[in-house]
Amino acid sequence: MRAVGAIAGVELRRFLRDRSNIFFTFIFPLLLVVVIGAQFGGGASNGRVLLTEAQSSLGEDLQATLTAADVTVDASTADAAAESLARGRADVAIVITAEDAAAYDAGEPVRVEVIQASTNGAQTAAQRVQTALSELATTRAQLAALTGAGAAPDVATQALEAAEEEVPPLQVDVVDVNEISQAFAGVTGFDVGAASQVLLFVFMAALAGSGTLIDARRNGVIARTLAAPVGTGSVVAGQALGRWTIAIFQGAYVMAGTSLLFGVTWGNLPVALLVLAVFAAVAAGFAMVIGSLLDNEGAATGLGVGLSLVLAALGGCMFPQELFPDALRTVSSFTPHGWGYRAFAEVQRHDAGVAEILPHLGVLAAFALGALLLGSLLLRRSLGRAI
Amino acid sequence: MGAVWTIVTKDLQQRLRDKSVLIFSIAVPLALMTVLNLVIPTGADDVELEPVTVAASIDADDELADVVVSSLAGLSVFQVTVADSEDPRAAVDAGDADLGLIIPPGLTEDLRSGTEHSVQMVIGDSAGLSANILIAVTDGLLSEMRARSVSAAAAIEAGLGPEVAAQLAQQEVDAASAITAEAGAASDEQLSAGGALIAGQAGLFLMFTVGFGVLSMVAERESGTLARLRSMPIRPGSIVLAKALGAFVLGVLATSVLLTAGSLLFGVTFGNVGAVGVLVLCAVAAATSLTFIVVRLARTAEQANIVQTILALVLGMSGGAFFPIAASGALGAVLDVNPIAAFTRGLGITAGGGGLSDLTGPVLTLLAFAAVCLLVSRVIPDRGETR
Repeated sequence: MRAVGAIAGVELRRFLRDRSNIFFTFIFPLLLVVVIGAQFGGGASNGRVLLTEAQSSLGEDLQATLTAADVTVDASTADAAAESLARGRADVAIVITAEDAAAYDAGEPVRVEVIQASTNGAQTAAQRVQTALSELATTRAQLAALTGAGAAPDVATQALEAAEEEVPPLQVDVVDVNEISQAFAGVTGFDVGAASQVLLFVFMAALAGSGTLIDARRNGVIARTLAAPVGTGSVVAGQALGRWTIAIFQGAYVMAGTSLLFGVTWGNLPVALLVLAVFAAVAAGFAMVIGSLLDNEGAATGLGVGLSLVLAALGGCMFPQELFPDALRTVSSFTPHGWGYRAFAEVQRHDAGVAEILPHLGVLAAFALGALLLGSLLLRRSLGRAI
Repeated sequence: MGAVWTIVTKDLQQRLRDKSVLIFSIAVPLALMTVLNLVIPTGADDVELEPVTVAASIDADDELADVVVSSLAGLSVFQVTVADSEDPRAAVDAGDADLGLIIPPGLTEDLRSGTEHSVQMVIGDSAGLSANILIAVTDGLLSEMRARSVSAAAAIEAGLGPEVAAQLAQQEVDAASAITAEAGAASDEQLSAGGALIAGQAGLFLMFTVGFGVLSMVAERESGTLARLRSMPIRPGSIVLAKALGAFVLGVLATSVLLTAGSLLFGVTFGNVGAVGVLVLCAVAAATSLTFIVVRLARTAEQANIVQTILALVLGMSGGAFFPIAASGALGAVLDVNPIAAFTRGLGITAGGGGLSDLTGPVLTLLAFAAVCLLVSRVIPDRGETR
């Protein structure tokens, strides 16, 4: 056990001595989380709409109505709007011409052009635009009717505002018996995304550790360590322990950062940290397998980055696994990310304790144990070949 | 030139032998494209509006409730079947209906008297986009009905008398006030969601592929072979040129393979082969030039690896390799400089039928990026030189 601790200690010291590692492990993931959080997190809106002739009264009224519905509205020209849509940088463009604006001011029928992008949110955003347009039309019709009946324009506006307050709202109250929406009940904004990011980064950063094992093998450090009364199991355990410590620290750090920056709730914190700890052990184990299997750092990094991205996608860390088709959800059960995701989901959304997520932890622990055993077996075999 | 060619061929042979290029530049991105294509719904491309069955519980004598039901049944966009039901929620739960509509008796009377009235819709597991559209349509109908009550209340408020109010409450919304949306044609320079995925992943992994040139340079420096190379009668610039050329060849090959395989596998076309070829050459030049900066920043192969990974991921994410970044104005302009964004933009233009002459913007961006990177790499101090 002392040998394991000593090897882990050396790994950690080597890691900390390289100051660039500190930047890349702790500052970089948080930067990415901030970028992703700003896109999808708490501040995310109900779609992004571009508007031409934003200075006209039609543009201003439309902007006010859409903003009230939490849609982000930006002024643009028709050409720039077309380009932004083509690049997926906005969901919908409303092209108002000078004639449209004049028709609106004159109280005549208006026909604006609405263009949708091929983004996922475009249809919903287009629906919101439609609603905003009919709201504007209704208010215009009401004002016209009131002034037509003899009310002065400013009196009509005030009366309409007062009546809006007075008449009780009438809208559809949606009752959801849909399993998917219920699975997401209790989560807001960036909660799902933050858990996915933790899993993705912890795994990817830990897999980068396979390079140090290859380096140690190439320089004969492993062979010399094994000349002492230390088994391959201890060497792998020591190396993995070093990686595990870094991974868990990084995960906890991203968790703290997302809570502070985006108000992400992690449920019962000790339980969430336990999930992280077991998942980090899986990641460290995978790093040892790759570090023993491959003899080239470049190939190991390639496999590491690729494997962590593919497993993350299959496990639901890029698109929620609740929305997967059944076959794909079965596939996600064969990835550690899939189980990590489900465990975090239970803890975050349903305040689960250790007992509730015991199956998840068990599967993850089995992944970790299997990877560590395979790693030590492969390390022993790797000693027999030239590097 | 002979020396340059010798180094290039030796490097290419070595990369193929250690399989790193095959893993990183071909296998991993193809796997990721396949997985992301499976996992993420590819936008509005393949949305189909399914017929919907609605289980409705309404009072047959209620005039306005009847209007709601007949309006829904009369929708022309997709087929809506409305069936009377005692308990719509149970019907939805049992899977007999996609959507439940519950309008308690007295809607007409409550609207007339300005009393609150609740309308419920129940969505189940089978509810798709059509169900959401029906909810939005119902919401629209209800708000139109409420608008008439508001007009009546406003008439009283404005002192126009009960007769005018009663008249306004009956009046349809004036067609002259209508603001309608006309579906505009989306830009033909738009990549489909699947095309954007392939382009983004090809751009992202291009960054990794060209990194092999830097890695081999730094690795030679570490192992001392660079010093030996320099002692040969070769101009120092030739060694750097050879490494860059190797990276360039790998980048062009890998990106061509990825675009071809991606379009064959996922049925996407990128348009004119010649124009796409020019775009690939410029994008690879931009990516390769970035590695000149990395080679001066990194002291060790491990550091070079990490810096390259970070640059690739930052440029990849901000360039829209995983999801389009919603941005306009100054932020949009900064993102435009990103070579991956320019590459994707260029592919959008060629996919829309654009030729070489339409690619001026993206090509100039890529070449300018390459020039700036080369300039910066001359200015910053070489941290590896001291070793």
